[in-house]
Amino acid sequence: MTAADRRAPALELRQITKRFGRVTALEGVDLVANPGEILAIVGDNGAGKSTLIKTISGVYRPDGGEILVNGAPVSLSNPADARAAGVATVFQDLALVECLDVSTNMFLGQLPRKGWFVDRKKMDEESRRFLDELKVTVADVHTQIGMLSGGQRQIISIARAVRAGAHTVLLDEPTAALGVRETQHAAEIIQTLRDAGNAVICVSHDMEFVFKIADRVQVMRLGKVAGTRTVSETSRDEVIALITGAKKEAA
Amino acid sequence: MSDNVVTSASSGRRRVATTIIDAVRKRSQLAGLAGVLLALVIVFQIGNPIYLSAGNVLEVLRAATLYFIVACPMTLVIVSGGIDFSAGALFATGGVAAGFAMVSGVPWPLAVLFGIAAGGALGVVNGILTVYFRVPPLIATISMFFVASGVITVLTGGVSLSGFPKTFTDLGQGFLAGIPFLVFYAIAVGIIFWVVLEKTPLGYDARAVGGNRAAASANGIRVNRHDLIVYGLAGAVAALAGIMGAARLASAAPQAGGTAFTFQVVTAVIIGGTSLFGGIGGIGGSALGALLFASINNGLVVIGVNALWQNIFVGVILAGAVAIDQARRRRQFTSRR
Repeated sequence: MTAADRRAPALELRQITKRFGRVTALEGVDLVANPGEILAIVGDNGAGKSTLIKTISGVYRPDGGEILVNGAPVSLSNPADARAAGVATVFQDLALVECLDVSTNMFLGQLPRKGWFVDRKKMDEESRRFLDELKVTVADVHTQIGMLSGGQRQIISIARAVRAGAHTVLLDEPTAALGVRETQHAAEIIQTLRDAGNAVICVSHDMEFVFKIADRVQVMRLGKVAGTRTVSETSRDEVIALITGAKKEAA
Repeated sequence: MSDNVVTSASSGRRRVATTIIDAVRKRSQLAGLAGVLLALVIVFQIGNPIYLSAGNVLEVLRAATLYFIVACPMTLVIVSGGIDFSAGALFATGGVAAGFAMVSGVPWPLAVLFGIAAGGALGVVNGILTVYFRVPPLIATISMFFVASGVITVLTGGVSLSGFPKTFTDLGQGFLAGIPFLVFYAIAVGIIFWVVLEKTPLGYDARAVGGNRAAASANGIRVNRHDLIVYGLAGAVAALAGIMGAARLASAAPQAGGTAFTFQVVTAVIIGGTSLFGGIGGIGGSALGALLFASINNGLVVIGVNALWQNIFVGVILAGAVAIDQARRRRQFTSRR
């Protein structure tokens, strides 16, 4: 949070509204993601988390409100725009190609070239370097993704987002498909990501995980922000009360 | 903070081991195919000592060349997750279009380019149908097969074209050091497509698009454009092969190629280990597949087996090859999650 005081938020949402016909999925949602900080987004089903993710990643266009990246307003009309603005989303299905190896997946759609050819050497070296930066050691970047476990795939997806030049990484349920040990690994990766100065937004159901890694937690309820808390100054009970609506914040 | 180890030390050794096993397995599929080919050659040779005579080996090679040339772009299409059943008709279209141009007095090099362009354009139409009109590749290309063969049959009145310049027919009939030119053309096309598939962005994208189209698209690969290129290339090369065939026979028939040729090309690619489900496969396998095919056709005749048995043989091998591919996929991807 110290870094956040000096810099503009990496990503800021102001009064974002998204409607689907007569249903208002998001109403006046504010969000601030600071560099070097992990922001968790929690909420019950139907709270608007998915819509929020899709709005930030450029899949949906908001009907109202403003999105700012590093203090400057941006228009994210498709996922490519979001990526270009430095906002990468790691979706639950991860979007990896199973029959291709780690380094090819890291460079999918952005293959380094040497004339007419793919610069395989550069691809392998840079993949290794990026994985090293995340303190992930890979025995062989030629391993097929299909051979890796869910947690390992998660790590590769995150590494790919960072490699593609993201300063803000949005993770959708990063621990949903993971076992206990893999969740531990994912937590360490996410913390490494934060410590490297990235803004990390983590949408999760996993309260234990949220309280372990997040710096702040934003609670969504019925398409609105029910409250934002600094993790060290709140309790699980308070957050759960905000999620269920047992506790309401004075607006 | 402790290192996050994708492969911990103990499983690291196992991972290295599986990588090695995997590499061997990858080669072993080709080796297996080569083994089958060798066994057949031995059987045929015992059946009739003429089989391995220089003349007959050249005959097998020459028969394999046209299949193989068309099998190269077909491999690219199938690796990209598509299929092209119009190949046989575009093969004939290439020959007829070039032949028509030559008969009309167009210089042969221009006529050849015209034939290739015709095939390429129809290939792009295949791509447009699948990408923009959401017609499944199987249906789009079968439709193209009927339309293209229909059009060239109508235009020629069903009669073969002939009377081509000698320079042109020489290119299809000539020999260098006792080996037909066609074999060299096939080798050149094979090398080009091997490089494309293994070394260039187009080849990498093909595996990504065929392996997981949604992921490829989400990561910025222009999947639609990729399909247009790949189908266009398939049409152009099928037409080129048809032109070579016309040069060899000094005649361009609207009935050339056809369904049998199409099925044989697809079968050669699949037998060669390219997966119908996309992502996996290579030119080397297709070369062996085409060779196996030509050897069986030739060998059964040479050892005096009734030619009617050929199809039965080929059918059994094709089903076996796909069954092996499926087993391989299961083995490879059961460790997920």
